[in-house]
This record gives sequence, structure tokens and C-alpha cells, in this order.
Amino acid sequence: MASSSHTRATVEMQQRDAVYPRESPLRRPAVGREIIGRILPPLMALVTVVALWWMVHLVFPRLLPSPLSTFRGAVRLLSEGGFFFHMIQSLRRVFVGSTVAMVFSVAVGIYMGTVVMGERFFQPLVVLGLTIPGLMWSLIAVMLFGINEIAPYFAVAVTIFPMLVINIWAGVKALDKELIDMSHVFHFSPWLKISQVIIPQLVPNIFAATRYGLGLAWKVVVVVEMFGTSNGVGYQVMKAYQIFDMEAVIAWTLTFVAAMILIEYGIINLVEQRVTAWRPKVEVWRR
Amino acid sequence: MARLQVRNAEKWFQRETGQPFKVLDGLSFEVREGCVTVLVGPSGCGKSTVLNAIVGLERLDRGELVFFNHDGQSQQRPLIGYVFQGPRLLPWKTVGDNVRLALRGAGVAREKWEDRVQRYLALVGLEEYVTQYPLYLSGGQRQRVGLARALAIESDLVLMDEPFASVDELTARQLRETTRRLCEQLHRTVLFVTHNLPEAAYMSDFVVALTARPACVEACIDNPLPCPRRWGPEIYRFAADLEAKLSLREEAEI
Ligand SMILES: Nc1ncnc2c1ncn2[C@@H]1O[C@H](COP(=O)(O)OP(=O)(O)OP(=O)(O)O)[C@@H](O)[C@H]1O
Ligand SMILES: [Mg+2]
Repeated sequence: MASSSHTRATVEMQQRDAVYPRESPLRRPAVGREIIGRILPPLMALVTVVALWWMVHLVFPRLLPSPLSTFRGAVRLLSEGGFFFHMIQSLRRVFVGSTVAMVFSVAVGIYMGTVVMGERFFQPLVVLGLTIPGLMWSLIAVMLFGINEIAPYFAVAVTIFPMLVINIWAGVKALDKELIDMSHVFHFSPWLKISQVIIPQLVPNIFAATRYGLGLAWKVVVVVEMFGTSNGVGYQVMKAYQIFDMEAVIAWTLTFVAAMILIEYGIINLVEQRVTAWRPKVEVWRR
Repeated sequence: MARLQVRNAEKWFQRETGQPFKVLDGLSFEVREGCVTVLVGPSGCGKSTVLNAIVGLERLDRGELVFFNHDGQSQQRPLIGYVFQGPRLLPWKTVGDNVRLALRGAGVAREKWEDRVQRYLALVGLEEYVTQYPLYLSGGQRQRVGLARALAIESDLVLMDEPFASVDELTARQLRETTRRLCEQLHRTVLFVTHNLPEAAYMSDFVVALTARPACVEACIDNPLPCPRRWGPEIYRFAADLEAKLSLREEAEI
């Protein structure tokens, strides 16, 4: 019995040695230190914000509720029945709107970066789109489509589309011509060229665009919900505003921010690590 | 029998100022079937440009390229294996996947992929690196993956642009031997660019020497050495012969 567990332990040791051979100076990083290094900096950022907020609250107690009572308000929100319903409504609008914008912007961005006539055609439109505020699109969307789900999808997609296009277009202009030539020589089909050669080079731009787009999309969704829907976070914030409930306004905002942070760390970061696994980590200024 | 004829090829490029200059000046030569034709010439004379035109990455301004099939009839541009001057691997694909993608592009049946990947990576001594990403390989190793990829599609015309320039001399000798043996046994037609004369002497059946820019053919020389080739003093003797006949100087003016 004892000997079998002993052998199992040795086998495990040997397996570990196979990855980090004994004579190698490279050591597996200590797990505790790794976790602290990852969690401490963002935590400190959070603490700083809360501390500043508290100070403002101490100076103007009427104006700004304290972090603690707001936090309690947020917890109360969470335990209420309607919370998840409204949150999911808003998140769905954010996602559908940004996905639509993403698909179109990748297509148009690639077209603009590769075809001169495409660039000349779309460039003024993109600049025009950039200057139109999201609020304007929200109003137009609700007036056009009425109070239904098309309005927020449309407003989100149209508002963030120009920003995404600019990002993707810049990436396409920086594509490596030598690799595209290579794919041409080996007779890659158009689909192979796009999926294996072009899109992978655009990954950093696509991630930047996604982060940027999601942040912007949520701002637009909240605005549309304030006057164009009868549910969602924006609708709830509007209700709180009408009874001048500052605590509820901030609490709703906080929960939505928390949801976006969860998406950033829980989904986007993980996916990004996955698809950029081939790239040695850049650690120029890190120790 | 010719596999490919380059006839009166003329190519112009533009400087950044827009001023045009001639790179290829009425170049004519042929690539014989089942032979290794070596293209030598001073740096910057337009050797890579010739290869790029042959695979269709550049368009000739005058002159034509004529490809022939095995029956001697002219045909469309066939599938061509190309070892680029740099490795040109997709860094987000493993070494094995880089070769597989070329096989897929070239229309090789899926059942044959694994065998080809294994065989050709073993040929260049990289069978252990199938699942590695290119950025974790050395420069010479990457270049060898490029060689494996170009050979794996088993096209009967292969272009190689200084394929062993970034590999150490001993490995380079092995690779030359492997490549040469493969061409002799499988009757691949190869157009091989180099500026290393002993390499030209060893690899070639036929040497085409270009002048400095604008390039035209300075000499076509048959290689008298016997097949199968062996590395030895007669290689260096032929290389010295070549050197005496050619004016391989750097381009005079920019
Ligand atoms: N796309 C381009 N635009 C303008 N000039 C070019 C372009 N490509 C090549 N050239 C010029 O054409 C000439 C020939 O280039 P090429 O790459 O064919 O030379 P090479 O013979 O392969 O040289 P090397 O032995 O150094 O590889 C060079 O003078 C180069 O400056
Ligand atoms: Mg060259």
C-alpha cells in the first residue's frame, strides 16, 4: 500500500521534472506569488476609487451617498426579483448591437484596407459617423422603429460601427504583404486567406475594438432604455432619477460596471490569452 | 526538354520619387525538365524578381513566361513550390499546421497530409518540432520549415531563393545533399537562386549567370560533374571555373 503510493508520488515528481528538468535554472513560478501579482494591482485600483468617493462623501454628505450605503443598496437590488431580468435585458441589447456592428465593421474594414475605391468611398462616411453623437442615434432609432427591440440594436450598432471600422481598417493597412503573397503562391482559397492569414493578424485590433465597442455600447443602451423601452438598467435608472434617489442611480450603475468587469476578466481576457498563445509574452518593462 | 521558358523578360520598378528604373533587361533562359537550374548573379540584380514573376507575384512589363507540360505542350501556370528568401511562416500556426495549410491550398487529399508532414519535416531534420510555434524556432530552423513546406506539396516545379543562406555550413551541406538527391530520384524541376558558387557547383545541372542590374543573361554553363553529386575537390574546381567566367560584382550605382 505504502509502496504503491510512494511510486505514484515518484511518477508525479518525474512528470514534473520532465517539464522543469532538475538541472534547468528555470523554476515553476510560486502559485501564491503569481496570484498576488495578478489580484493585488486591480484591487488597489478599486480601493483608490472607493477611498476618493468616501472623501467626497465626507465633504458633501448631502450630495453623494456613502460607498457603504450604496453598496448596501446594490446588495438589496441583487436580492430583489427584478434585478436579473433588467440586467439581462440590457446586456442582451449590448451584445446583439455590438455583434452586428462587429460583423459589419470587420467586413467593411477589410474592404477599405484592401480596395482603394472602397477606402475612398467609406472614409467620408466613417468620419461623418464619428461626429454623430450616440444620443442622436438613440432618438432617431426610437422615432424610426418605435418602442421595440430594433431601436436599441440599431442605435448601438450604428453608433459604435465607425469606431470599430477605424480600428480594423488601421489593422488591415498594416497587414504583412509577404504572408499574403505566400498564401497566394500556395493557392490558398479566399476563405483560407481570410480565416488563416488576414483575421489572425487583425486579432489585436479586433480585441481593442471589442473592448472599446462594449464600453460605448452600454452607454448608448442606457440612453435608449431611458425613453425607448419599458425595462432594462437604463429604464430603472430613469425611474430612480424621477424620485431623486441618488443611491439607487449609483447602485444600478455599479452593478452594471461590475457586470462589464466580469465580462472583461471572465471572457475577453481568457479568449485573448487563448488565441495569442503562439506569441511569446512581451515583457520589456516588467520584471 | 524545357519545363519553363523565360522570353525577353523586362521589368521596371519605381523609386520612392516615382522615377522608374529597369531591373530585368530582356532576360531569356529556360528551366529544363528534371534538372536543377541555378541562377547566380550579384546582389540586387533581380533574381528574386524573376522568381516572383514566375509564381505570379509580379507581372512582367514585357516578354513572356511559357510553361510546358510533360508532353511539351504549353500550359497555364502550374502549381509551383516556392522557398522564399525569408521563411514566411504563419506565426500563429504550428510548424505542422503551416505545412498542412500549404497542402490544403495545393489541393492534396486530406488522407495524405499526416504522412507528408512527417516525411518532409523529417527530411529537413525537424520531425520533433511538428507541434511547436515558429517563433520558438531558430532562424535556420524556420527556413527549413519553409523548405519542407515547398517540397511537401510535391509540385513538379520548385523555386528556391537562397534557401540555405541562413543555415550553418554543415547543416547546409546535408540539406543540399537531401534536396539534390530528391531532385535526382523524383525528377523534380528546380530553379535555384544562390550567390554561393560552391553551392551552385554542387546543386546545378545547368547554371544561368545574370549581370548586374539591369540584369540580362551573362552566360549559360552546363555542369560537367557526374551524378549522383558528391561533395569534393572537383566541386571547388568547378566553382573556381565559374568565378573565372563570371563578373559577380556588386551593383555599381544605386
Ligand atoms: N517592390 C519593389 N519596388 C521597387 N523596387 C524593388 C521592388 N522589389 C525589388 N526592387 C528593386 O529591384 C532590384 C532587384 O531586387 P531583387 O530582390 O530581385 O534582387 P536579388 O537579385 O534577389 O538580390 P539579393 O541577392 O540581395 O536577394 C533591387 O535593386 C530592388 O531595390
Ligand atoms: Mg533576392
